[in-house]
Amino acid sequence: MLKCKINGQDVEVAEGSSIIEAFKATGQDIAHYCWHPGLSVAGVCRLCMVEIEGNPRLQIACNTQVQEGMVINNNSDKIKDAVKWGLDFHLINHPLDCPICAQAGECQLQIQYMKFGQYDPEMAERKVKKRKVVDLGPKIVLDTERCILCSRCVRFTDEVSKTNELGIFNRGDHSEIGTVDDRPLDNPYSVNTVDICPVGALTSREFRFQQRVWYLKNETTVCNGCSTGCSTKVYFNEEGMWRVKPDHNDDVNGYWMCDEGRGTPRFVNKDSRLLSAWNGQKDEGQDLEAGAAAKAVGQTLKKVVAEQGSDKVAFVVTGQYTDQENRAFLSLAKDLGVKVYHWVNNPEKMDEFDGLLIRGDKNPNTYGLKEAMKEVGVGSPWSELESSVSDLEYVVVAGPENHFAYSDLTDKVDLFSKANHQVWFVAGDHDVLRAASNKVSLIPTKTYVEKDGTYKNFEGREQRIRRVMTLVPGALSLTEASKLMSGQELLVDGNVSESYRKTNFFSSNERGYL
Amino acid sequence: MFQLSPAGIDFVKTELNRYETKRSAILPCLYKVQEENGGWVSPEAVNHLADVMDIPAAHINEVLYFYTMYNKKPVGRLHVQVCATISCAMNGARELAKHICDKYQVKEGEISDDGMVTVTKVECLGSCGTAPMMQIGNAYYENLTKESAIEVIEDLKKKSTNQ
Ligand code: SF4
Ligand code: SF4
Ligand code: FES
Ligand code: FES
Repeated sequence: MLKCKINGQDVEVAEGSSIIEAFKATGQDIAHYCWHPGLSVAGVCRLCMVEIEGNPRLQIACNTQVQEGMVINNNSDKIKDAVKWGLDFHLINHPLDCPICAQAGECQLQIQYMKFGQYDPEMAERKVKKRKVVDLGPKIVLDTERCILCSRCVRFTDEVSKTNELGIFNRGDHSEIGTVDDRPLDNPYSVNTVDICPVGALTSREFRFQQRVWYLKNETTVCNGCSTGCSTKVYFNEEGMWRVKPDHNDDVNGYWMCDEGRGTPRFVNKDSRLLSAWNGQKDEGQDLEAGAAAKAVGQTLKKVVAEQGSDKVAFVVTGQYTDQENRAFLSLAKDLGVKVYHWVNNPEKMDEFDGLLIRGDKNPNTYGLKEAMKEVGVGSPWSELESSVSDLEYVVVAGPENHFAYSDLTDKVDLFSKANHQVWFVAGDHDVLRAASNKVSLIPTKTYVEKDGTYKNFEGREQRIRRVMTLVPGALSLTEASKLMSGQELLVDGNVSESYRKTNFFSSNERGYL
Repeated sequence: MFQLSPAGIDFVKTELNRYETKRSAILPCLYKVQEENGGWVSPEAVNHLADVMDIPAAHINEVLYFYTMYNKKPVGRLHVQVCATISCAMNGARELAKHICDKYQVKEGEISDDGMVTVTKVECLGSCGTAPMMQIGNAYYENLTKESAIEVIEDLKKKSTNQ
């Protein structure tokens, strides 16, 4: 370990650490554009200037290693002047179109200008015009004028995704970021370049112009897109969820997440959701209140089991629910004495892994589900359900909330249609369910941003998800539904956690920059 | 589709062995491609070279677009590069370039109608003592006058059509 002094504060850092890492370790503020903790050092933006005692010239913090006993500061007037000039140079050719820029509000140029700038620019040169709104495929739009050539995105595609699409072409103030022949920047991790772009040069096609970022709140949670379980930040307002970004977690995802995981708003937001319970058959039926529907189902199940035997009912579970929900649901099955079957959505792909983050098991909690089934002592082979389904009175399904990962949904609805009734706990509103040929009950469930709980990822790491917002007030968690089905009542306050009280939409004051 | 000749491929392989990293070999390999592709480096040629060198096309383009000595547009059979830096400029390089352009009725950087001549102004070619001068192919032509420059070009034109 090496001792050094940062702005008067003593710190110890590991041998080989750079000065900027020492700054980050003390939590002190330091301006920087090109340095990113997940990428190699480029040292091109010259914004991270520091003054080292005994060294006549200013140094960049990102590419200078800490030496024993170094005394470093970045709050002298000399530094402020240097950063001011650095910023002024970055802005020479920057178009300053903040009013129409999707990055405004979380742009590092704006942030640093407010800290070090607030001057009148001293550059009188004409700005070099470059290409705007360059189409880089289905996910990303590029504005080369806004780019400050920090090379973060290039290093990302070279070092992390290893897809090498991006490069800096031309020279001097004509330098421009781009892809070869404007080919799409479309790899499974490409939107990370949008996150790390400090300015509005790379923007996400999905998110740009949707919301001003300062109107959004954010909260950390865990992605439920696959069994990796990346730490994420979800950005939301009272209308719903607008985007997902990765949150730093060295143990799971580092600084990144996949593009698919950013698509969770597709099944979370209200327009795709089942808003109330429904009883019916072949598209005809009536809406019910979810709690009442769950209670009614519970009573019927008890009756069927008592009168016709427990082999007339089967429970189907998926790896889409939290540990707590799994336990409640499986215990209910155990109490009723009915069999439980694990619906595996894509058995051939379950063990796939792309070497970075993406796993073939598109469920957040398969591990937890298997563990809970073992603990509760339930679980029967799927083939048994397939052969016995036509003898069943009721199939009760804890269905997927991420139906995009369940391409076999229709097949399963057809299968369960052979029983007399099918009961679905499900977050989305699906036409195939309403159109089923037997009697159907649909009960709306909460999505992963509307409930508290834990997921266990592919390696059994327990991670907490949080209740961030409520989008469908009537929806139940599987825990709540199981309680109601077993005849208990929900306590009005029982489930509202402290964290939710502190950080609901109106009280959270987090605003996100990376 | 542009393809390097067998000799060109051998050249690339040798260059690749010469350096520690593949990226270091891009410059000479691009020259080879330019030579074999009629004086310019086309996007297809870049993709082909990327395949041969087994490196991303973006890395090649980064080099290609940095240097003006690689032509990114087609050029005439004779690429007349007139030096227009100080010594040459003082000795009438701009007028010379204009004279050649007028003679072959071609704008700077474009190809004459017969496909023979492209004129560009370039930076110092290190032959300042014999200004004004121009480079065509790999040869220098020095101490030029308007007349001698045209003579040289006419001569080369004849040679290249006879071939
Ligand atoms: S596009 Fe963004 S991330 Fe890439 S070099 Fe430019 S400013 Fe940096
Ligand atoms: S890798 Fe899996 S957990 Fe991570 S963001 Fe993608 S889908 Fe979500
Ligand atoms: S962060 Fe150090 S030079 Fe860019
Ligand atoms: S100035 Fe023309 S060769 Fe040097």
